[in-house]
Amino acid sequence: MSQAVRVARAGGFRRRSAGPPPVSARPSGRRFWPQYVAIAPFFLLFAVFGLFPVGFSAYLAFHRWDGISPVTFAGLDQFRFLAADRTFRIAVVNTLIIWVLSTLPMLAMSLGLASLLNSVRRFRTLYQVVLFLPSVTSIVAVAIFFKAMFGNSYGVVNAALRAVGLDAIGWLNGYWTIKIVICVLLTWQWVGYNAIIYFAGLQAIPSDVYEAAKIDGAGPLRTFWGITVPLLRPVILFTVVISTITGLQTFTEPQVLFGSNAATNPNSGGPGQAGLTMVLYFYQQAFSNNNYGYGAAIAYAVFAIVAVFSIVNWRIVARSER
Amino acid sequence: MQLSRRDALRGSGLAVLGLGLSSLAACSNDSAGTGTSGTTLWYWGGGLSDAVVEAAKQQFPDAGITPSKIGGDFKQKLQTAFTGGAFAPAITGVKGEDMAYFKSVAAKFTDLGPLGGTEAAATGLAWKWEQGRTADGKQIGYPIDIGPTAMFYRSDLFEQAGLPTDPTAVSAAVATWDGFYALGQELHGKVPATFPVSSLGVLWGILTGQTTQRYVGEDGSFTGDSEELHDAWRTAVRAQALGLNANAAQNLNPALADGTIGTEMGAAWHALDISDGAPDTAGKWRVADNPVKPTSIGGSFLAIPATTKDPQQAFSIIQWILSPENEAKGYADASIFPADPAAWTLPALTEGDAFFGGQKTIDIFGPAAQLVPAQFESPFDAAVGAPYGDELTKVETAGKDPEQAWTDAVAAARQVADRAGVK
Repeated sequence: MSQAVRVARAGGFRRRSAGPPPVSARPSGRRFWPQYVAIAPFFLLFAVFGLFPVGFSAYLAFHRWDGISPVTFAGLDQFRFLAADRTFRIAVVNTLIIWVLSTLPMLAMSLGLASLLNSVRRFRTLYQVVLFLPSVTSIVAVAIFFKAMFGNSYGVVNAALRAVGLDAIGWLNGYWTIKIVICVLLTWQWVGYNAIIYFAGLQAIPSDVYEAAKIDGAGPLRTFWGITVPLLRPVILFTVVISTITGLQTFTEPQVLFGSNAATNPNSGGPGQAGLTMVLYFYQQAFSNNNYGYGAAIAYAVFAIVAVFSIVNWRIVARSER
Repeated sequence: MQLSRRDALRGSGLAVLGLGLSSLAACSNDSAGTGTSGTTLWYWGGGLSDAVVEAAKQQFPDAGITPSKIGGDFKQKLQTAFTGGAFAPAITGVKGEDMAYFKSVAAKFTDLGPLGGTEAAATGLAWKWEQGRTADGKQIGYPIDIGPTAMFYRSDLFEQAGLPTDPTAVSAAVATWDGFYALGQELHGKVPATFPVSSLGVLWGILTGQTTQRYVGEDGSFTGDSEELHDAWRTAVRAQALGLNANAAQNLNPALADGTIGTEMGAAWHALDISDGAPDTAGKWRVADNPVKPTSIGGSFLAIPATTKDPQQAFSIIQWILSPENEAKGYADASIFPADPAAWTLPALTEGDAFFGGQKTIDIFGPAAQLVPAQFESPFDAAVGAPYGDELTKVETAGKDPEQAWTDAVAAARQVADRAGVK
């Protein structure tokens, strides 16, 4: 079928349409229906698994529901409970600590790794693959592995500490050590991913800028802070926002580290609730305790907190761009 | 034929549409109940003996039994099937800890009483059948197994400490909590690397089972601040004050294997955790009564959802799977302790257990199972009880003051209760 026939057919469509000449949006909507059908699967799946849960949980947040019985209206009760809930406050503080402790060192390390990657000439693809591997590895398997590594009595980490004459640490028992284990886990998983993104950004910086800096007598540090960081700013902004969104929703790591060994008290975030993150608390309330209305209210509070921090971060990083 | 881009797009669009429609059609197939689609049976790994389930297929060829081992969160998946109104199994397992919750939505289940459950209950364990029955007498669950508690101990370490090693003598020595702590101090004093308590949560599990009332009363009132529970709390945290707590909740297996834990309390099924976690200690363990009186932890049921088309046949299948002979097989295969006392006299249960040095553990668990006190369990118990477990971990890992921890636990439990609509 030639281009001309296709156009004629499309025109035919237009002519056949009833009534007055339609506005230009309608016929093009009809004309492109195969394209719409082609992209429909994503939107259908998104509507079912994305949009519907968002709407339904908004509805649930104002109701009580045990998962089976009829839903009853609760008004603002769930949010009133949330405002008074000390456990939720513990979860918020835990999440913020974990987020700060993992994101800042991780992004700094990523930038360092990206610079190294940018300066190597041989085996670059191999390094890229190696760096990217952790982020596509099953997080559950990795968490189980880390749990064994940081085991209180026979973990590799404690064995190493003992070997250099230090005392073993009960990693999975302490308020800070639990958070450190989770942060190490998060850092291990995402440092390479961010490094690859930074590396892509570095590749886009023209080399003549660096050459000009060299001619002007700038050292490596001066070049890094004076050229690399400012020119990478949009990329850094992207990674900071993404890390904020994912870091504040940390769930799998504490769930796997402390979930399985507590049949009577599941998903409580480990000793002293030190690993209880906001999303883990949401999961515990909704799915362990069958309090879906309260769980939905927590989910919306998490959304609000993530939104606020993302905007704040974006403003901080974007501001110096002028 | 030459394909234009448009035709190709249209074709793929139709293909996608067709795929969507056919999967929708697949969704509308009702697999619930019996009939042409057979009898689906949901259980979890280790919940029933796989061999018995396999044999049930041969026993009931007309029923077309399709067993399905559900992984992950079992309650969650059953809940989803009920809420979605499709794919509910014809027969399903219900875990002991979820029974109170499912009893609160009893309309989703068939009453087993008229099907023969009433007769079966008459010869079974009264407290266990009661656990599977609603307040207004609807029998939802047919008991599979029970979790009578006892005290496991290392006879070799006891001998080293100059303590009695014979189960009868040990049971007598730990008949009270005072006796238990005295024995614990003796053990830890003589063998300093060994502790009589693995974590405070373990003691709390036994102690709350010994109270007359857990966190929520039968009338839906909050009882988490009762003097009885406060006493239980004080008894549990004594282990911390006396320095007898190994605080090994996060590394139970190594602590069991290297002798850090000298005594461990738990349900009959916990024996499997110990033998799996510390296989090299085989022959060194013994079982005695736990202090004061036995309680029950866990122990599951089989149930028939209300949507099942032939409940009488489903009931016959359940009764066959849980006959004394098959229950004894389940004990031999998967350490599932039979809920039916008739199974306890069969050889699988009466022979000595090598892991326990040839001890006939039924001598401890059998009488214990008969003595388990019936206790009301609210669907909110797990949620309202969670803060107590959390605060105990703060006492043992962060050195929090036990009385402050009690106050905080009650306050947090009160909040959970309020949210759940408990008075």
